[in-house]
Amino acid sequence: MLELRNVSKRFLGIPAVDNVSFSARAGEVTGYLGPNGSGKSTTMKMITGLIGLGCGEILFEGKPIQRDLIAYKQRMGYVPEEPHLYTHLSANEYLVMVSELRNLAAQEAGERIDGMLRLFALHDDRHAPISAYSKGMRQKVLVAAALLHNPDLILLDEPFSGLDVGSALVLRSLIQELAARGKVVLFSSHELETVERICSHVVILHRGKVVADDSIERLRTLMALPTLEEIFSQLAVEQDSVAISRQIADLIHA
Amino acid sequence: MREEPIERLQFGVLYRAFLLRVVDLEILSAQGDVVKLLGQFASLLAAISFFFTVPLILVGGRLPQETLWTMEHVLIATTMVVVGLFSVLSWDSIFPDRRDVLVLAPLPVRARTLFLAKLGASLTALSVSVLALNIFTGLVWPFLFSPANGGGFAAIRSLAAYWVTVFAAGAFIFCSGLGVHWLAAQLLPRQQFLRLSAFLQVAAVCLFLSVYFLEPSLETPAALTAPQNQQLLAWLPSYWFLGLFQELNGGGSSSVSMDSAFVPLAMRACTGLAIAVLGSGAAIMLSYFRTLRKIVEEPDILPGSRRMNWSPPLANSLQSAIALFSVRTLLRSRHHRVIFSFYLGIGFAIVLAYMKPALGPHSSPHVAATAPVSVPLLTASILMMCVVVTGMRIVFSMPIALRANWIFRITETRKAPEYLTAIRRTLLWISCFPVWAVFAMLFLAIWPLRFAAGHLVILGLLGIIFTDLSVHGFQKIPFTCSYLPGKGNIQLVFWACVVLLPLTYAAARLEWQALQNLSRYVFVVVILSIAAGWARWRTAASARSAKALNFDEVPPVDILALGLRTDGEMLPEQS
Repeated sequence: MLELRNVSKRFLGIPAVDNVSFSARAGEVTGYLGPNGSGKSTTMKMITGLIGLGCGEILFEGKPIQRDLIAYKQRMGYVPEEPHLYTHLSANEYLVMVSELRNLAAQEAGERIDGMLRLFALHDDRHAPISAYSKGMRQKVLVAAALLHNPDLILLDEPFSGLDVGSALVLRSLIQELAARGKVVLFSSHELETVERICSHVVILHRGKVVADDSIERLRTLMALPTLEEIFSQLAVEQDSVAISRQIADLIHA
Repeated sequence: MREEPIERLQFGVLYRAFLLRVVDLEILSAQGDVVKLLGQFASLLAAISFFFTVPLILVGGRLPQETLWTMEHVLIATTMVVVGLFSVLSWDSIFPDRRDVLVLAPLPVRARTLFLAKLGASLTALSVSVLALNIFTGLVWPFLFSPANGGGFAAIRSLAAYWVTVFAAGAFIFCSGLGVHWLAAQLLPRQQFLRLSAFLQVAAVCLFLSVYFLEPSLETPAALTAPQNQQLLAWLPSYWFLGLFQELNGGGSSSVSMDSAFVPLAMRACTGLAIAVLGSGAAIMLSYFRTLRKIVEEPDILPGSRRMNWSPPLANSLQSAIALFSVRTLLRSRHHRVIFSFYLGIGFAIVLAYMKPALGPHSSPHVAATAPVSVPLLTASILMMCVVVTGMRIVFSMPIALRANWIFRITETRKAPEYLTAIRRTLLWISCFPVWAVFAMLFLAIWPLRFAAGHLVILGLLGIIFTDLSVHGFQKIPFTCSYLPGKGNIQLVFWACVVLLPLTYAAARLEWQALQNLSRYVFVVVILSIAAGWARWRTAASARSAKALNFDEVPPVDILALGLRTDGEMLPEQS
């Protein structure tokens, strides 16, 4: 289980994440939602160890991750929000490099890489430089790199970005399958429809604070709202979207 | 709104943006100051200018005519080599890159505005370089170059002639370099051109530096007028511009015999300049607009070889990952290749400079390249090792795709010392070993086995020492950490290199003596082994104490905070 206890982070004195606590259990997909600037990606980066904790604690299987960050990273896979890759490498070279950095056995890693490239329909382009890849292809490379070492904790930050319909369907099923096999999956996305389909539990963040942490079913019942989108709008969207869109249209007409 | 003012406005905006991007801002640390970096380079050029003014101060301005001609030639040639290197480094920045095109293409900006802004920014940077390089020399030497008893008018004429000549010489080299580059862009498919471009850049750096260090000294009336030298002079552009300066300065007309030497050279300078400017202009016009489209349509890198799965014989997967990543980055990133080729060019020029006396007529038996052991060759090999290791270490600190380094952070699943060992081995493999191997082939071919093997042992030990000194405190995976300009003192490094050259020659003399005597040789090897052991121990100790790798370079704090609370208690992390 992944657990965050009173986690906070400030940038130049401004709180980006404020006293956030929640847990993501093995065997289920936890959705992590929030509008832009709500602190989702900052939390994700703290969970991955990319940025330090301001205060609070992050525990994985009951142990603070900072106590043995190396052991923790060996069990974690991460798909970042932006597809930043070394584009001078080919997908094959990139994945081999990741497997070597993760100290996977060469033969086993080779078989996994080959299999992943085939299943993600990248095999024909495996020797082409990533600079020549489309956004969706890059996203597939990121997903493959995150899963290569069979991690126990999978952190997905906007993993569907740029994927075509077919690939998105595969990834959606894959996330559910991985959770069913006992992995802890934390899934951050703006696509509420997808979240509603694959997540059993959601955490909604607004202005750095948790405003909801429950199963989607219970949230629906508690708030007497039929969809996650409406729940989200009620909890985390302050603006009147119709009024704002009208104002923008007026502004460019003026 | 009229079209012309919009274009002018767009030009101004783009010109300012491109001028600051002469240095790739993407590689800089968040705290990096690009102005400071550019200022350091300008001050280095000004220091070179001052260096060339020192002899004048020492002799009090009284110099014979032939020395003045030599100085005229040295100043022109130095300007040409600096501009030549600048043109090589800016080959890529004059063409818009993929990012420029993707950002600007959707905007209503004409290709010609983009092109003129890029060209304008490059020419401004070039002009500032020429100005900085001649800031002292260009204000002092021309007064000595003016014809004797010429008065104030002659001095002003000499000053004007000097500046016209250095800018013309700079323009010639700049346009020639870019012309060749753009012609290649025009004739070849873009991906093949990108590959060839890298080799052209390395070749151009080596050519400029080799010509600068190796061109013969012909600044005497006898040499300039000798019929056997005319063919050589026709191929040496720095002498063309010496002729141009003499003609503009009125120095050539003072003697009919010298006029006959300088006029053809000056004519050749004018013709060469016209051809270079017109040729590069035509090549630009032809290639620029075609290239813009190709930049978006075609990837910058060709697919690698499908069957190449070679991996260096390294101890573990981490070392293999870091070594392969480094090699691939160096081979595929033009930016890094150019910077490394600059150091390689310096090393190559030093080798040639030391080979020059060894290959020519000589009086001393220890100088000849074919002698049992040649001191210049010993010196050249040691300096080449030093330059290549240092150059590679500097290139290692320049990142590629800084935002992609998260993968190394996420996969940092081993302790920092293991990474530092891998980094040291990578540097040994890709800088020290190739230099050692090339010189091994050369020395084993031309020297007796005993001497060749003896020197190769010493060269190997020196390579290990240089490598360990280079990686001491370097807690970064190559090409992954942001670059903080101004950390190294360029001026100090430059003057240290100036001092290092004669010291290395003296050390090579000692080695030459040691190679003739077994007990001395053993003594030298023991001393170097101890030094190598100490350097290794020092690096290993530093690596053991390293807690984490560095991915973002931050400047040292100017003020040391004591971290005292109001009640005088220390903060936990500082107590």
